[in-house]
Amino acid sequence: MKQNGRSQEPEGKWEVQLRKGCLELAILAALWGGKLYGLEILRRLEKDSDLIVSEGTVYPLLSRLKAEALLDSEWVEGEAGHPRKYYRLTPAGRRQAVAMARTWARFSASLDGLLSRLMTEES
Amino acid sequence: MSPDPKETIEHYLKQMRSGLRGVAEAQVADIVEELRSHILERAQSGDVLSAPAVDAALRSLGRPEEVASLYLAENVMAEAESSRMPWSVLRGIFYWATLSVKGAVVLMICLVGYLFGAAFFIAALAKPFNPKVGLWLLDNRTYSLALGMTDARSQGHELLGWAMVPVGLALGGGTILLTTHFGLWCIHRFRCAKLKKLTGTPSD
Repeated sequence: MKQNGRSQEPEGKWEVQLRKGCLELAILAALWGGKLYGLEILRRLEKDSDLIVSEGTVYPLLSRLKAEALLDSEWVEGEAGHPRKYYRLTPAGRRQAVAMARTWARFSASLDGLLSRLMTEES
Repeated sequence: MSPDPKETIEHYLKQMRSGLRGVAEAQVADIVEELRSHILERAQSGDVLSAPAVDAALRSLGRPEEVASLYLAENVMAEAESSRMPWSVLRGIFYWATLSVKGAVVLMICLVGYLFGAAFFIAALAKPFNPKVGLWLLDNRTYSLALGMTDARSQGHELLGWAMVPVGLALGGGTILLTTHFGLWCIHRFRCAKLKKLTGTPSD
């Protein structure tokens, strides 16, 4: 079992990096339509993507994206009786989201030819 | 009797605060308020806040020390990784050291590395102004890097002479560079491990 785990290690690392990259893009994309607060972003990700997102992961990521000036935030007193912190894309965040989406689409399309052959032979 | 749900939330947030020690107070207050808002949003139904709903919300959020360390990984340590400067690396590792023994060990190794690097640099720069500075062989058996504070001339002799300047600069620069790379490698592994744990990627 241990040997099996070791053999999966590079794939695990690759998957971590892939998920990390995807999560950043997914958050930027979720905010494309306008401002959302943390739980709304989580619900949007759950509804519109298959990404498994731990709730504790999203807030630190939002904090870093804000520190990188890709997001802006504001506290709004909600009708729920407690304030909500809303995030929105900054102009730099919108540019970054478009650039990442284009890179993703180009990368995915360029791999499709190779992967489809691999999947056909495997099955 | 189950504990008061508000007390449970405050206890969780207190643990979060303690995991974020070293981070600017204004940022900690903002993080804590945002998490409080998230928990209330998840657990509150109308004006009712039930203990099981609060427990479920806290479980979904994750253990406070884990979430706090992810904040550190995504902010202070991400800054260290992107800037790649020794002081950012030391700052990142310092926060890590407040969280775990592993972080404290890495901090000790990096501090020793940077101190050695600085000592070689100081020796190289001070050599032209002070003859007592240099690598000394004392009593034919002990090597000592003298920085000019003490006079070792009566107990031994200096080995490098003026070569102390290029050798000191090379060794100082090399030691600082190696220490920074080691620190960055440890920080990268720490960030990957945190992310792996919280994004639900199977660990093996």
